[in-house]
Amino acid sequence: MEDLWSNLFWFLAGTVILLIVSLLHVAYLTYAERKIIARMQQRLGPNRVGPRGLLQPIADMLKLLTKEDIIPAQVDKPVFYIAPFISLVCAGTGIALVPLWENFVISNINVGLLFILALSSLSAYGVILSGWASNSRYAFLGGLRASAQVISYEIAMSLALLSVVLMAGSLNLGDIVRAQINSPFKVYLIPQLIGFFVFIISAVAECNRTPFDLPEAETELVAGYFVEYSGMRFALFYLAEYFGMLVMSALAVTCFLGGWAGPFEVPYVPFFWFVVKVYALLFFYIWIRATLPRYRYDQLMDLGWKVLIPLGLINLFLTALIKLIF
Amino acid sequence: MGLGIDLNSLIFGYLAFAMVVSSVLAVFSKNPVHTVLLVLVMVVHQAFLLLTLGSEFLMAVQLIVYAGAVLVLFLFVVYLINLRKETKHSIFVKRFCLCSLVFLLFLGFMGVNLYLIYGAKKFEQAVLPFNPLEKDNLWWIAHYLFNYYLLPFEIIGVILLVAVLGAVFLVRKVKTTEEA
Repeated sequence: MEDLWSNLFWFLAGTVILLIVSLLHVAYLTYAERKIIARMQQRLGPNRVGPRGLLQPIADMLKLLTKEDIIPAQVDKPVFYIAPFISLVCAGTGIALVPLWENFVISNINVGLLFILALSSLSAYGVILSGWASNSRYAFLGGLRASAQVISYEIAMSLALLSVVLMAGSLNLGDIVRAQINSPFKVYLIPQLIGFFVFIISAVAECNRTPFDLPEAETELVAGYFVEYSGMRFALFYLAEYFGMLVMSALAVTCFLGGWAGPFEVPYVPFFWFVVKVYALLFFYIWIRATLPRYRYDQLMDLGWKVLIPLGLINLFLTALIKLIF
Repeated sequence: MGLGIDLNSLIFGYLAFAMVVSSVLAVFSKNPVHTVLLVLVMVVHQAFLLLTLGSEFLMAVQLIVYAGAVLVLFLFVVYLINLRKETKHSIFVKRFCLCSLVFLLFLGFMGVNLYLIYGAKKFEQAVLPFNPLEKDNLWWIAHYLFNYYLLPFEIIGVILLVAVLGAVFLVRKVKTTEEA
């Protein structure tokens, strides 16, 4: 009994700390994005609130919290209320399954990878439902685009992750990292180069980020599926998008870049390498946003179905072949 | 457990109750989108029921296949329905009394059957040919699927392939001589 309560206490404490840390990461990710893109476009970026604009995310949060929560007259109210929460929960829960360092993971389940895939497919609901419930043409079109996009790219992403599962022989994320550390190259990036390529592109599409941000294409759809939202509910969609980036980066680090392992051990900071790799991937996300223009819709579908899914299948076949021979 | 309540039956009770309520609401809901959402609630509870039975693999598959793919496609179809017209229909058909009579008859029939099959016997612990705790759930599924049921598995694969080819055949563009 004593054991049960202390286990429960540590589990809850870990969950709360992880939640706070990742929310802070998400908040400062928006700041980093604005600063980095500003630098790339030869602007200054936010620099008024606090030293070097460091308090900008907090000011944004306060502003959004105190803004009026506008509910348009003709919306489907229960669905309209619930959609942002579905988005945020499905995007954020995945972080609990990722091992941050050896033997530290909030929820160590045997089908961790499948569960993350399930969550990412469920996150489509938030987008589709908000688009439908808003009773607005822009939002509706955004929702339709998002659902088609997420369904298409999820297949490519699953195929890329399946090759990793095939190599590691496990669906448990911790076991996948351990299998990588014991493999000859230490990371799956080298033997799974095609898989990593497919995964990263699909992950960008899954998060609805540029160059695949058609569901929220400003020039065509105003803001896409969340055009009717305001105040805190709008902020929840925003949080969900950045949380999605964080989870996808963490998943890429776990499955392809060797998780917590690094070239040497850093004393007292067991999560050092994990965090460094995640930051590098997040920078990559921001970098391509500053660099690449938006895809056209038919190009997006062509890329997904005619390039990434065949590549993923070939990669799966090759991986199985190599596994069979060696 | 020192709590005085059986936690397992409490969780099972909640899941079963939520599943029944959401299914009934799904049938009676007028708005097709709400129906799909209520079915989603049902499917998610079903997934957690599978989790309490110790088969986490089936839970993940349930979430991916039913909640993540099938119901999203249902939503797609529902979008194409004219909702304004649809929600004005009465939820009861004309011969309501007759229908409920038939329903009650079927219910009684089912109850009698269930009683005849299970009522007399006491439930016994199922005896499995292996020790399930030896390996994890996923391992056992793979073991039995690929060692004992390989042929049915492959037949299902071929049937699905036929369905995919049929769908591709239906949507392909036929080039007429005038267009070319």
